[in-house]
Amino acid sequence: MKSRLLVLLVLLGLVALPLVYRAPFFLHMIILIFFYVALTEAWNILGLCGKVSLGHSAFFGIAAYTSAILCIREGVIPWIGMFPALLATYLGAVALAVPLLRLRGPMFTLASIAFSEVLRRVAMVWREMTAGAEGLTIPFTPGWHHLTFTTKVPYYYIFLLLAAGSVYIVHRMYHSALGHHLRAIASDEEAAQALGINTGRVQLLALCWSAGITGLLGVFYTQYVYMIEPEWAFSQMLFALQPALNGIIGGLGTIWGPVLGAVLMTPLGEYLRSYLGALQQGLNFFIYGLVLIGVVMVLPGGIISPLLVLFHPRRKEVDRTVSIGQGANE
Amino acid sequence: MDLILQVIVSGLLLGGVYALLSVGLTLIFGVVRIINFAHGELMMVGMYLTFWLFHSHHMDPYLSIIAVAPALFVVGMGVQRLIIQPIFDSSALMKIFATVGLFIALQNLALMLFRADFRTIQTSYSMSTVVVSNISISIPRLVAFGFALILFVALYLLLRLTLVGKAMRAVAENRIVAELMGIRVQRLYLLTFGLGSALTGMAGALILPFTYVFPTVGSIYTLLAFVVVVLGGLGNMAGAFFGGLFIGLVESFSGVYVSPALKEAVYYVIFILILLVRPQGLFGKGKGTEEVGLK
Repeated sequence: MKSRLLVLLVLLGLVALPLVYRAPFFLHMIILIFFYVALTEAWNILGLCGKVSLGHSAFFGIAAYTSAILCIREGVIPWIGMFPALLATYLGAVALAVPLLRLRGPMFTLASIAFSEVLRRVAMVWREMTAGAEGLTIPFTPGWHHLTFTTKVPYYYIFLLLAAGSVYIVHRMYHSALGHHLRAIASDEEAAQALGINTGRVQLLALCWSAGITGLLGVFYTQYVYMIEPEWAFSQMLFALQPALNGIIGGLGTIWGPVLGAVLMTPLGEYLRSYLGALQQGLNFFIYGLVLIGVVMVLPGGIISPLLVLFHPRRKEVDRTVSIGQGANE
Repeated sequence: MDLILQVIVSGLLLGGVYALLSVGLTLIFGVVRIINFAHGELMMVGMYLTFWLFHSHHMDPYLSIIAVAPALFVVGMGVQRLIIQPIFDSSALMKIFATVGLFIALQNLALMLFRADFRTIQTSYSMSTVVVSNISISIPRLVAFGFALILFVALYLLLRLTLVGKAMRAVAENRIVAELMGIRVQRLYLLTFGLGSALTGMAGALILPFTYVFPTVGSIYTLLAFVVVVLGGLGNMAGAFFGGLFIGLVESFSGVYVSPALKEAVYYVIFILILLVRPQGLFGKGKGTEEVGLK
């Protein structure tokens, strides 16, 4: 109960925050954090069953492009455009489901990268639809109707809702039968199957949730930045590697690990990018890479694993975190 | 007809370099049993080193192999000693993440040092060709293919004839028995990682005179090497050679008949299809090899 109260208080504080302080650069940073909390949680759903996708940029890009093209060419407002966008995302998810169910470990990860890279190149070449590398600009008609705003405050609440929603979904999933099945698959797929878990169905469900949330984020984030081009929408670094990094650094396969990872790493990345980036482009991701190697070596359960021990000395949660990190160990 | 022959010849010549890149990966995979997501970045390091030597010391790219090979050998040993060895007993996931971290770090180190520009080197022979019955053969590609072939033969002889090579094959076959027979496995891993990296770095030096290097070039070559290696069967040297030639042909054909912008997309699709139909690779050693990186 105490932890629920804490979550509620933090949420209330976040709702009230723009009423107190609304400097654009500050709100932008918080919006980015919300965005990455949601994106990392979405990626983490697949991580619950121990599968590492580095191709989630595919779902982001598919949905972002579907809704943007409908908006620009047909005048469909994003509130409606998000449904065809989600449908397209699920088609993509079905395509990735085949390797997901057939391949394990590194081979699935490689297939997911190849999947997203194919789509990026197609988006690059399909100029009639995507305008290629020139990119498309979202028409600016302020108001809730078109989801484009002159201030950052509405975006703040949209992304707060998305972030809180994805944490809530993962929380519910984690404690449901589905969550237990997913974690069983993470520690031993054959044993899970032998126990009667329909591993195919369960993984497909996880993929659909994961891809769907990622797609939704694609729709909203594109409205936020007004611009879309293939290198950005299918960016492996921003929408596939970054959530994976946040998730692993925070704690793979936990509820709060991805939140922790995104909250810690996003401001660090932004700080390095805006203050030192002018001097040294790439420094932020260089440090990210080193942090990842360091976490893998020192804290395979992520930053959250020592915290869990601290807060719940007797809870099994801790073992679970580590078991996903070390699941396939032999 | 001439066009098709032309496409075949340039594809095969390019494939030789791809084969060299991939044999480095398959050697490391076969012996050390690690899926290295930073493999293309090792090639990128070789390419930038060649670029730098050419621009600041006016060193010919083929001469720079003498510097690139030992440099990458040391880099590879460093990776094995500092990153892989400490986490050798942890899960497959953790090993993926460690090499992904290395790939991100190296890619962005290159961005810091060399900026995002596309770079290449202009030698006196960069554009020169020989014409054999209407087919023009680019000299740098021919030289690269020749070098790759020599290195391939040298590697084959090393693995077949020398004691170190035999030890490598023994470890690839069964690590525990090899250890019981008195092979110092950890030292051999260091050596193998160094050797694989050196081969990959040399592939980078050989390819630079007719292609570009940029910070994210490594991810393209990582995927390419995996396509080749999966095609040829994980851990299979001859498979890597023929797989490399095949992907060279695919790239060359799709560049002409599909679209230069989609040439990578074509072999990525082939890659996914092969993974789905035969996860152990077309010429894989049989069932189960696809899970080696996992267990």
